[in-house]
Amino acid sequence: MVDQKHQWKAWIYLAPAIILLLVFTVWPIINTVRMAFLNDYSGLQAVGGRVFEFGIDNFKKVVDYKEFVTCLKNTCLLCVTTVPISTILALLIAVCLNSIKPLQKFLQTIFFLPYVTNSIAIGMVFAAMFNIVGSFYGTENEIVVTAGIVNNVIEFFGGTHINWINAGSSYWANIVVMIVYIVWNALPFKILILLGGLQSINKQYYDAARVDGTPRRRVFSKITVPLLSPMLVYVVITGFIGGFKEYSSIVGIFGENMGPPDAPRRLNTMVGFIYDALSTNKQGRASAAALILFGIILVVTLINLQVSKKRVHY
Amino acid sequence: MKRILAVLLMITMLVGMFAFTSCGNTATKAQSNFEVPEGGYDGSEVTITFYNTMGSNLSTVLNYYIEEFNKLYPNIHVVSTQVGSYDDVRDQISTEITVGNQPNIAYCYPDHVALYNLAKAVVTLDNLIDSEIEITRADGTTEKLGLTEAELDNFIEGYYNEGKQFGDGLMYTMPLSKSTEVLYYNKTFFDQNGLTVPQTWDELEKVCEQIKAIDPASIPLGYDSESNWFITMCEQYKSPYTSATGDHFLFDNEQNRAFVKEFREWYQKGYLTTQTLYGAYTSGLFTSTNGTKSYMSIGSSAGATYQRPAANADGSYPFEVGIATIPQVSTENRKVISQGPSVCIFQKENPQEVIASWLFVKFITTNVEFQAEFAMASGYVPVLKSVAENEVYADFLANADGGTYVSALSAKVCLEQADAYYTSPAFNGSSTARDQAGALICKCLTADDGGDVDAMIKAAFEDAVAECEYNS
Amino acid sequence: MAKKSVMTTMQEKNMQQVSVQQKIVKIAVKVIVYAFLIAMAVIVLFPFYWMIISSLKSLAEYRESVPTFWPKQILLSNYVDAFNTAKLGRLFINTMIVGVVSTLLSLVITVLSAFAFARLEFKGKDMLFAGLLATMMIPGELFTITNYSTVTQLGWINTYTVLIVPFLVSVFYIYLLRQNFMQIPNELYLAAKVDGTSDIKYLWKVMVPLALPTLISITILKMMGAWNSYIWPRLVANDEAHSLITNGLRNAFTETTGDVNYPVQMAAVALVSAPLFLVFIFLRKYIMQGVSRSGIKG
Repeated sequence: MVDQKHQWKAWIYLAPAIILLLVFTVWPIINTVRMAFLNDYSGLQAVGGRVFEFGIDNFKKVVDYKEFVTCLKNTCLLCVTTVPISTILALLIAVCLNSIKPLQKFLQTIFFLPYVTNSIAIGMVFAAMFNIVGSFYGTENEIVVTAGIVNNVIEFFGGTHINWINAGSSYWANIVVMIVYIVWNALPFKILILLGGLQSINKQYYDAARVDGTPRRRVFSKITVPLLSPMLVYVVITGFIGGFKEYSSIVGIFGENMGPPDAPRRLNTMVGFIYDALSTNKQGRASAAALILFGIILVVTLINLQVSKKRVHY
Repeated sequence: MKRILAVLLMITMLVGMFAFTSCGNTATKAQSNFEVPEGGYDGSEVTITFYNTMGSNLSTVLNYYIEEFNKLYPNIHVVSTQVGSYDDVRDQISTEITVGNQPNIAYCYPDHVALYNLAKAVVTLDNLIDSEIEITRADGTTEKLGLTEAELDNFIEGYYNEGKQFGDGLMYTMPLSKSTEVLYYNKTFFDQNGLTVPQTWDELEKVCEQIKAIDPASIPLGYDSESNWFITMCEQYKSPYTSATGDHFLFDNEQNRAFVKEFREWYQKGYLTTQTLYGAYTSGLFTSTNGTKSYMSIGSSAGATYQRPAANADGSYPFEVGIATIPQVSTENRKVISQGPSVCIFQKENPQEVIASWLFVKFITTNVEFQAEFAMASGYVPVLKSVAENEVYADFLANADGGTYVSALSAKVCLEQADAYYTSPAFNGSSTARDQAGALICKCLTADDGGDVDAMIKAAFEDAVAECEYNS
Repeated sequence: MAKKSVMTTMQEKNMQQVSVQQKIVKIAVKVIVYAFLIAMAVIVLFPFYWMIISSLKSLAEYRESVPTFWPKQILLSNYVDAFNTAKLGRLFINTMIVGVVSTLLSLVITVLSAFAFARLEFKGKDMLFAGLLATMMIPGELFTITNYSTVTQLGWINTYTVLIVPFLVSVFYIYLLRQNFMQIPNELYLAAKVDGTSDIKYLWKVMVPLALPTLISITILKMMGAWNSYIWPRLVANDEAHSLITNGLRNAFTETTGDVNYPVQMAAVALVSAPLFLVFIFLRKYIMQGVSRSGIKG
């Protein structure tokens, strides 16, 4: 099968991508590795004439950070919760959207609107939804100006309001908000991909199923999911990769503080750590942390690929 | 053996003393990193770029004065570039420095300059300021390249000294326009209830108590920025916060823990809140006319219009805003923070670019008309004393009131407290200290103390210092 | 066509056999599906709604402690301000040029690479593919300084090239399209080979039409990327002739205190997103048509 001519051809097809990647991706990665192994490397100090020694101090520094475990824990926790939830939800929405007749166009259009919604607006909505405006919680002087939409709903059903993100909120309340936010953010993209995937499934399979009178659930599990599996795998793997790089969503809700005001950095993640290092121009430390993160994601992705290889139907 | 020990001890002491004198005394200052070339500006064509965060209304003012500047120096082309927010300016320049693409002049905050200094990219201005070279301008007149005595005296001292807080006594930045924190109070309410505006924190506590008695559902005081609060308290108590040299993070001390503890008590009594603890703009709380209200608000002097309630249909305001100096520990040692942009000049291969940049920086920081117009357009205060005598600006100040001309009122208060401005030391990591100081206030005011307040506060301070040390 | 009519008649016969009970279940399912979709639509729409109402509020109202769900006073003047303050015209043209050119080039590169990975056999294919995936795992922020130094050495600062070329290749999209290509039965390719169809012709005539929904998705994502990119354009092209829409938007509405005038900014965002939305609506048709139209021809 693999003859010389084919070899040639494949590389020609890949040439534009590979050349660009070498210059704009591979070279920076090599540079990242270099910076990681230069003790205490700082780009600005390098310009200023400082010479850096080769060593593994940066890695030691990263691992020694007392919040390092917190960063890892948050990163993993958010990843393993949000990826499955958002994928399943997106799958359901895409399948439903594909199965209906009346209102189909209208609803499809609505699910496109998030693409033209500015990310700042999404942050503002969350402030309105989960933010309690007030002070002195837990003291006799407690004042609640507004408890936020979510708490209003809870109170409407007879519950008491929950402190989601403000001073004094619990870690788990914070995590719940983050999960909702991340899932919400991820949905439009996943719906788009899965909807595209669904359309690529040959209609004849469904027609055949209909002829046989196969029940809906069986159609879903025996036709839709297997035939959509390449796209599902794609959404899961890229979801995990993106999930491990979670950062901006936390800033979106908690600000640069990466936690409620009384517990800053409680929700810090690996990429948050990298940003902190970059903000004081410690590229060496940031690179070391990035390589550690890279190692973790690589292992997870390999496992993902291995698992999916057995299940994906091409 | 003993002798060697003694010698060692002597050396250590000497070194220690030397270090002590060198950080306390600016007489032994380091060498400036820019030598003025002979003849100063040679009239050559140069293009200088100026990174700033000016919105369109300020750009209009700046562009007008660039034209004025070009009447004197037609060969110096100034290109003003808006670069998003202050942080955007910092990030962009620190990347550009790595390939030598940095602009000539930039808006800066002290911690940005500390960052650029890692690359030794910022020009120290001392030699330029001291230069006696006379430069001939296009209109035939001459000016001294350096600053004249009169020009130096004209700067508000606290603002000017901000350029020297980098630990080596050298001048790195020039002040452009400044703001500070002021106390906004509901004058109508204060007058109605016979309350006096607090000048000290002790008085503030009493006023809060009185307000709580009048309106129990209120939060008497809203404080905008926890970080400023902490740092200002350190200054007012003269207790250490940070240092640009040696051990950077000195804020974990008895005095600081004590004032934080006191504020915690006030918070628990419902006297005050801060922007992050409140969860929305404290100015929104202050301007609100129904529901929960506050009657005092400490916030940026440049944001005076935010502290004014929405106008009624007939154009009048529901209440009159009063503005005063923020409360002090002692009226003998008044301290208010100095904020707002300065400008710094970057190293370039061509010394003429640096000279040209300096001429422009000098022009905008010492030109009274520019300072006056810029201040009125921005809500910031000018950095020159004589601007107050400028006709247009004097008119502006004369109109000051607690409604339509609230910005003028704020500017007036700022100018009257010119002796009180301080700035804190700047070094790579000073912004982390700032963040941690703010977080400390939030945490210590609200956290569950588990029965032992002192232990909780102590642990919080230790954590904050550890975080600072790690990031520096 | 003939096939289809056979299908429908068979379907009709089938329908008659369905019992009443099954009909009820069917209706119940329908109701649940619609309820679910509408609920999700509302949730997904909420930020969009918030963007629109925020763009109509006054700054003072926006800063109030209790957010209002409907502006007390509708300020259309925000839109006028937005249009006047940011030089939207020029920024819009720049963004269009960059968006369209980079999307087109990116599509070509993505299609070629995905084809090689999905259909061609060559040594080290799996290794190379795994390597590509691995590049996605390093936070891109670390690349900025190195890439900045590269484009400076190439002399690309303040050109369209620098806005287009560095991000033409997205492993993200290559992977996506490869997944899609893999689904197309290999028999088609082998049949084409027997017929003597060239690879390029096969790719263009069969693979591309079959993967059209995915290609449209990529187009949308790439366009949106150009529309929202901020840090890189600001760094490498901050002169007026090349700056992009987001840079204009972010710079124009920063108040002197450093606060952002969100109502006006939201108005500007809504203004510039409107044409984009219309394009999406147009493209949506193609996504939803899927393969039913192109069918399968050997």
